Amino acid sequence: MLTVPARDAEEAIARLVADPTIEAMVTAHRVLEPRPPRHAPWPENLDPRLRQALHDRGVEALYTHQAQAFAAASARRNAVVVTPTASGKTLCYNLPVLDAVARDDAARALYLFPTKALAADQLVELRALSDAAGIGLKTHTYDGDTPANVRSVVRSAGQVVITNPDMLHAAILPHHTKWFKLFENLQYVVIDELHTYRGLFGSHVANVIRRLRRICRHYGADPIFICASATIANPRELAERIIEAPVELIDDNGAPSGRKHILVVNPPVANGELGIRGSSVLTAQRLGEQLIRDGVQTILFARSRTAVEVLTSYLREAIPAPDGHPSTIRGYRGGYLPNQRHEIERGLREGRVRGVVATNALELGIDIGSLDAAISVGYPGTIASTWQQMGRAGRRSGTSISVLVCSSSPIDQFLAAHPEYLFDSSPEHGLINPDNLYVLLNHLRASSFELPVPATERFGLEETPLLLDMLQEDGYLRRADDDRYYWSHENFPASDFSLRTGAPENVVIVDTTGDRHRVLGEVDLFAAPLLVHEKAIYIHEGVQHHVDRLDWDERKAYVTRTDVDYYTDASLGITLKVLEVADETDAAPAGGRQRGEVMVAWKVTMFKKIKFHTHENVGWGSISIPEQEMHTTATWLIPPAELVNRYDRDTLDGALIGLGRVARTTAALLLMSDVRDLGVLAQVQAPFTGRPTLYLYDAVPGGVGLTERLFSLTDELVRACRDAVTSCPCSDGCPACVGPAIEVGARGKATVIELLAGMS
Amino acid sequence: MLTQRLLADKLAAVRRSQGTASPSRPLAADRADGLARWLGAELRVADVGRVILIERSIPLPVDVAAALATLPAACYFDTETTGLSTGAGTVVFLAALGRLDGQRLVVHQYLLPDYPDELALLRHVAAELAVAERLVTYNGRAFDLPLVVARLTVNGLFSAMAEIPQRHDDLLPVARRLWRRSLGGARLADVERGVLGVERTSDCPSWEVPGRWFGYLRGGSPELLVAVLDHNLQDIASLALLEGELLRLRAGGWRNAAALDHRGMAIELLRDGRGADALEVLEHALDGTVDPAEAAGLRRLSSRLLLAGGEPERAEALWRDGTRRASIEAATAWVEVARIRERHRGDLRGALEATQAASRVLDLAFALGRGGSIEAIARTRLIVDRRLRRLRRWVAAAERRRARVAA
Repeated sequence: MLTVPARDAEEAIARLVADPTIEAMVTAHRVLEPRPPRHAPWPENLDPRLRQALHDRGVEALYTHQAQAFAAASARRNAVVVTPTASGKTLCYNLPVLDAVARDDAARALYLFPTKALAADQLVELRALSDAAGIGLKTHTYDGDTPANVRSVVRSAGQVVITNPDMLHAAILPHHTKWFKLFENLQYVVIDELHTYRGLFGSHVANVIRRLRRICRHYGADPIFICASATIANPRELAERIIEAPVELIDDNGAPSGRKHILVVNPPVANGELGIRGSSVLTAQRLGEQLIRDGVQTILFARSRTAVEVLTSYLREAIPAPDGHPSTIRGYRGGYLPNQRHEIERGLREGRVRGVVATNALELGIDIGSLDAAISVGYPGTIASTWQQMGRAGRRSGTSISVLVCSSSPIDQFLAAHPEYLFDSSPEHGLINPDNLYVLLNHLRASSFELPVPATERFGLEETPLLLDMLQEDGYLRRADDDRYYWSHENFPASDFSLRTGAPENVVIVDTTGDRHRVLGEVDLFAAPLLVHEKAIYIHEGVQHHVDRLDWDERKAYVTRTDVDYYTDASLGITLKVLEVADETDAAPAGGRQRGEVMVAWKVTMFKKIKFHTHENVGWGSISIPEQEMHTTATWLIPPAELVNRYDRDTLDGALIGLGRVARTTAALLLMSDVRDLGVLAQVQAPFTGRPTLYLYDAVPGGVGLTERLFSLTDELVRACRDAVTSCPCSDGCPACVGPAIEVGARGKATVIELLAGMS
Repeated sequence: MLTQRLLADKLAAVRRSQGTASPSRPLAADRADGLARWLGAELRVADVGRVILIERSIPLPVDVAAALATLPAACYFDTETTGLSTGAGTVVFLAALGRLDGQRLVVHQYLLPDYPDELALLRHVAAELAVAERLVTYNGRAFDLPLVVARLTVNGLFSAMAEIPQRHDDLLPVARRLWRRSLGGARLADVERGVLGVERTSDCPSWEVPGRWFGYLRGGSPELLVAVLDHNLQDIASLALLEGELLRLRAGGWRNAAALDHRGMAIELLRDGRGADALEVLEHALDGTVDPAEAAGLRRLSSRLLLAGGEPERAEALWRDGTRRASIEAATAWVEVARIRERHRGDLRGALEATQAASRVLDLAFALGRGGSIEAIARTRLIVDRRLRRLRRWVAAAERRRARVAA
């Protein structure tokens, strides 16, 4: 039995929803009613071969949004398409592109995807459609996996080149002369998964697009941009900031959808004193187990790689595979090798894999077909990703279910108490800052290598001439008699920096268990100290590995297979140094507020061993991995002196920790950003201010403007924090507000309320 | 790496100094003219820019000049650039084109006075390339030519691209085959020192080249460029000398050449379609070598040539020569003899005998302790035994068949 008739899945979902023990945990239950498709007539100017090919594949008519995208492209208008998963989004760009190539085989298009896996997926889909239409499209991916002999063919003859922004930045633009056939005839640039280009990465990508447009102008091309994005608050604004041109928004989804249950589940209170609720992992396991047993194909999204592995092993224990058969429950996360991932994706599409536990690696448009049920274990951090995850369940007909299982973290508890926030408020903004000097200057160097820059040209900023002079002073450029700035340095500037400074390189995990060493997978450099420090238990596909040695300089972790009854959890120590104050207000008597440049350093210092199932602490160890640093921006609050003098140091210490926790959550909500994009640090005696201080900083190097915006919202921040804490029903603090009393002190919650009152 | 703060400081400083002229702007408009005069060279001025032409003439050894004159008219070509990447920001600031003129090599060096003059340089270079019948470079296939094509592309000179001679003799791969093993490298400097007897004295190392041009542009003395011009000129002279040496070797000079890799030489001759000469080189080398591993390599190549030429007897004799000393190489040689007998002479029994000989030699080598590592012996043993078993089976089968036919 590979697939379950839709009716059975429907009944299983109905049973789950009606189960009284589950019903008791549900804080919100919405039902999205089925929606019929809305079609538009075939565009008259569409190449008949394409229309026939679509017809042969069972497409009787285009959905309204697809027709709208085609019309925009035909009229040479840039567009951004925002529709849910599985609504036929890729046709929105494949259709105009194939149509252009069908008309004129000199026409070229460039596709950008954030990952190689998505590019590979798209290649298959694009080829299938062009083959069906008999267009004979010449297309290939161009990335690190492209064989050398294919590369030169792609450069000269590729009609659709599928790549990623990193490759465009480091390999294509600096060598544009080898690509002149592409640039001369470039009619379309497709940017899919636009919403992933936010924050620092997005700021880099916007600059790569600036460089791309310069090259296109040089070769006399003026391509149309077609973007596609998951739901965010400002898709059009983000697209316009990235491509720096007007963009038409297409968000009127014409695709049909089946009935869908959406549940918000809050595990019951397990410890009233500490305000601790039952584990979201165990609750999700229970729901997943019941659904999978009933034959409902289910995906569970966990927030960390460790959680993926823990949940996978729990589910496998609960639903053992019949003897001699591979388990139908799989883990899926970054760090698995591509072949393994493809095999799992195929298993999902073909129905062999009945349950998958994934990180947000599966949020993006990897083709796994549509599943019956999606369970998010803990709020994924943004409303946009919540909908992305929930969108993984849902067929065009038939019933599906999506569940958010809240953890005891403050933001989850806020959502459990106010589910309307999830349903009714707008999702996050995609914020970028392409004019971040740090980012822009690197790209200006790269761009001047690609083509000399006339003194009158503007690269983003009005102050471009000043920057050019500065680069000349530093010996990178030369302003010649013709008033153009020429690259005059031996280095190759595009190789000096990466678009994803967050993860410059990965740590390779080497399994030394057998006779021969074998590469198990990789973890990025930021996650490595937490996951593969020495003596860590690293879990890969449900199998435990003991980390024997971490060679930090060589970026290698050596592990052996093991079988123990605990897992490890490392903790992070953070220090912060203020470099420069950019702005301040002294809102006396409410205390001081400042913002500016800071250096944040973090170090993983120790780890705990935590027993499976009981989750008790059974030991600890120390970790020696070099400290890592990040230069970023911060906003900090200094409560008034006469207020803090009332408390002893311990009370204040606990209260500041509590204040930090609620402030971070609340700030993330105010900024409509991911909690993880913000860092918080409370210092009871801050070296810079000499007073108790609460720092909130952008958690990416260079910053993307979150705390800069927060600085202008500090009054709202304090007010919202006060509302959140005072309206929380707990007595002495709980994870949903300031944290449990055991962490913030017996008077923690009361002190936080007093501090907030004094600061408003 | 710049931090945001340093950056902000710098930007502020730049803003403060706004309005004052940039200090490193070109000093005077006629600097190109001054440079040309300083170098005693000609300044060519066109509407698209200026370029400095330095014409030099180098005497060549009589035999070299005579040999080179037999080839289609060459353009010896080399560039000096602002970097090592072939990306769009690397500029050719000096290009040298040499051609044979009687006993002499006449070299035109085109020097870029400044970036905006690039179009003028490219036009001159393209015009000279267009009249040559073939291009001779050192690593030009991977570097100089793609770079020139990139510059032509950036400047939209697509028609000039079509006029670059089709025939391009890049001497680097040849030099690699002939000398990399014996000289431990095949950079032009290695070949100059080890083969051509050229000692560079007045010029500068390659890695200094871009910095010297940048230095001149930023107001430095024209003297910085003298060593670069010498370096570039020597590259062209060496190219011509090297091509002369290659002709000499091909014409039989390999018999008295030091530091030559004979296998490489044989391959080189083969590429010219001179199989018999290649064999002669290999035989000559076999006579001269005492290293069994090298001898095996030479035999392998010779035997391939002989077999391809339909001379299995000679190939077999060649391998038989290698079976004299009890060693792994001797066993391997017997295996080769067996292979030739089986595949090329249809002699299964002979092949079996040769394989049996291989087996005996292997035992002997092992007993005498001449076999090399145990692993090497074991590996050869496996090969020999497998072949032995198969041949025994086949010989037996053939005999049964014969017996049946006879019955």
